[in-house]
Amino acid sequence: MARAVLVLVEHAGGKVDSVTSQLLTAGRQLATQLNGGLVALVIGHQLDGVVGALKISGADKILRVDDPALASAAGEAQGQVIAQVARQIEPRFLLIGYSLVGMELTPAIATLLGINAFTNCVNVEMRDGAVTVTRPLFDGTQHAHIALDESAVIALQKGSFAPLEPSTKEAAVETVAIDSMNLPSRSQVLAIIEEPAGDVDIGKAEIIVSIGRGIGNEDKIPIVAELADALGGVLACSRPVVDVGWLPRERQVGASGKTVTPKVYLACGISGAIQHLTGMRDSHRIIAINKDPNAPIFGVAHIGVVGDLFEIVPALTKAAKEAKSLRD
Amino acid sequence: MNIAVCCKSVPGLVTDLKVGSDGKSLQYQSQLLAINECDEYALEEALVLKKAHGGQVTVISMGGIKSQDVLYYALAKGADKAVRVDCDSHDPRIASTVLAAALKKLEFDLVLTGTQSRDTLGGQVGVAAASLLGLPFAYAVVGIEVRDEKTIIARKELGGGRYADLELQLPALLCVQTGIEPLTFVPPARRIRARQQPVRSFSVGELGLQTEPLAPKGYRILSVRPPERLHQAELLQGSAQEIAAALLTKIRESV
Ligand SMILES: Cc1cc2nc3c(=O)[nH]c(=O)nc-3n(C[C@H](O)[C@H](O)[C@H](O)COP(=O)(O)OP(=O)(O)OC[C@H]3O[C@@H](n4cnc5c(N)ncnc54)[C@H](O)[C@@H]3O)c2cc1C
Repeated sequence: MARAVLVLVEHAGGKVDSVTSQLLTAGRQLATQLNGGLVALVIGHQLDGVVGALKISGADKILRVDDPALASAAGEAQGQVIAQVARQIEPRFLLIGYSLVGMELTPAIATLLGINAFTNCVNVEMRDGAVTVTRPLFDGTQHAHIALDESAVIALQKGSFAPLEPSTKEAAVETVAIDSMNLPSRSQVLAIIEEPAGDVDIGKAEIIVSIGRGIGNEDKIPIVAELADALGGVLACSRPVVDVGWLPRERQVGASGKTVTPKVYLACGISGAIQHLTGMRDSHRIIAINKDPNAPIFGVAHIGVVGDLFEIVPALTKAAKEAKSLRD
Repeated sequence: MNIAVCCKSVPGLVTDLKVGSDGKSLQYQSQLLAINECDEYALEEALVLKKAHGGQVTVISMGGIKSQDVLYYALAKGADKAVRVDCDSHDPRIASTVLAAALKKLEFDLVLTGTQSRDTLGGQVGVAAASLLGLPFAYAVVGIEVRDEKTIIARKELGGGRYADLELQLPALLCVQTGIEPLTFVPPARRIRARQQPVRSFSVGELGLQTEPLAPKGYRILSVRPPERLHQAELLQGSAQEIAAALLTKIRESV
């Protein structure tokens, strides 16, 4: 009998995350080719709103695990619940978003099920009769194409697939009971904390000039800061720049920083790891300056310059200043 | 508090990265293996915790003899003991199986790992090892507070500026996020001295592992090649001045 494709629904604060609908697109393609169903699994507590929103999401069936024990469950218990359900339905593939949630849960689920997991995937498709995933290696400058011969957990980067068209038919919802008494309780969520707002809100800027590790040295930051000024934009950065303390956390773009959609996002010396792309790929116009033509940032950029930022940036600053003085 | 830190050695400065003649592997000119940056943050955090709470820090690395350098580096930073498991694999299932078996041989209250390695970008090994060992875990941890002998509080990232504070009972495993502590500099003299310290090494057989479960299975690597661009960027060429002028026009028309 054909086995289903299972999609793990990501949700927070009663809202379904947009990655879920993208996973359903990938899942629908696979399910069609494998001749199986598409099943969405949602776990948590007080899920009425989430399940309501999922009914027309395009899945054939929704599995709902709604239990008070899951309200403060950490990764260990969540992983066990998902593995319990997966053991019952034995899906051919389990699709998860490669977000912070997926990064934590994917290896746990795969290990409990004794199957492989492929994380950070940018594609999954049928190729020559085999389900094949594509995932980055080496800062994303290379892609591995891997054919899967057995069941696996596939964690897909956000933005890899378009959202699935809502369906006109409501999916059946099946409630799945779990053995919550026997869930591990050695880790518990105590509280959720929101980062306090900083001095600048890069999310409001129309032009963002962003630096990455390619800046090389703290002393060089003013070169790019000057460009941001000349363009009337704000300076932002990738995570490593914050990690070493060169710019404050509020300037960080990405999965664990801010999500921005400026009119212009100018990335200077940023490779374009998924955790960065997540925070800026919906910008209206993305311009990338990078020495490496294989840098994944060029995969989302509208305009690219393969070159040294220390040549291009000063020239652009000069041009912007001259144009400005002409206007004034 | 005794802490075990898993550190991977990855190619340091990679030049001339290219796909091997089999089309399925990567070849590069990199003589040096360096500590994977994410793991270095885990090591730093372990040393900070040791300073505050006492105990020993043991670094553990899976890899060939070349990865011994990374262990010396960790010893120079202040780790007390170093363990190498002689096994070379990029398969996360294998790496977590081997590391979990090695961790079983050690005494620890806490295991720290990084979030991902720069070569395989998988981010799986820490949590997978925790699951094999039956330990509670958290991923992308930005702060650790020791409550008492048996419990810690870990703050982990949820993304988008949100965090969760977790209480975990020890022993536990945490995948530490970059930036958790500033990286400290190790003077060359100390690095040289560290090479005198012993490194315990295990073969997989000594860990009681059979070779059969240590073979990759269930998948085939078809090819490794530079990314195909679905959405082709318009590439600007010319002198810096010409490119700057073109960019300025594009920026102007966008706002
Ligand atoms: C859980 C988790 C969360 C994360 N969250 C975030 C996040 O929110 N935001 C984020 O950005 N990252 C995040 N990361 C880190 C992410 O995985 C990458 O490591 C990071 O984005 C890389 O930053 P980078 O592109 O600046 O550096 P690198 O990847 O080192 O890239 C530097 C680039 O600069 C180029 N370069 C070097 N010199 C020059 C020059 N002179 N001129 C032009 N180009 C040059 C190089 O070719 C290279 O492409 C997260 C990781 C994890 C595991």
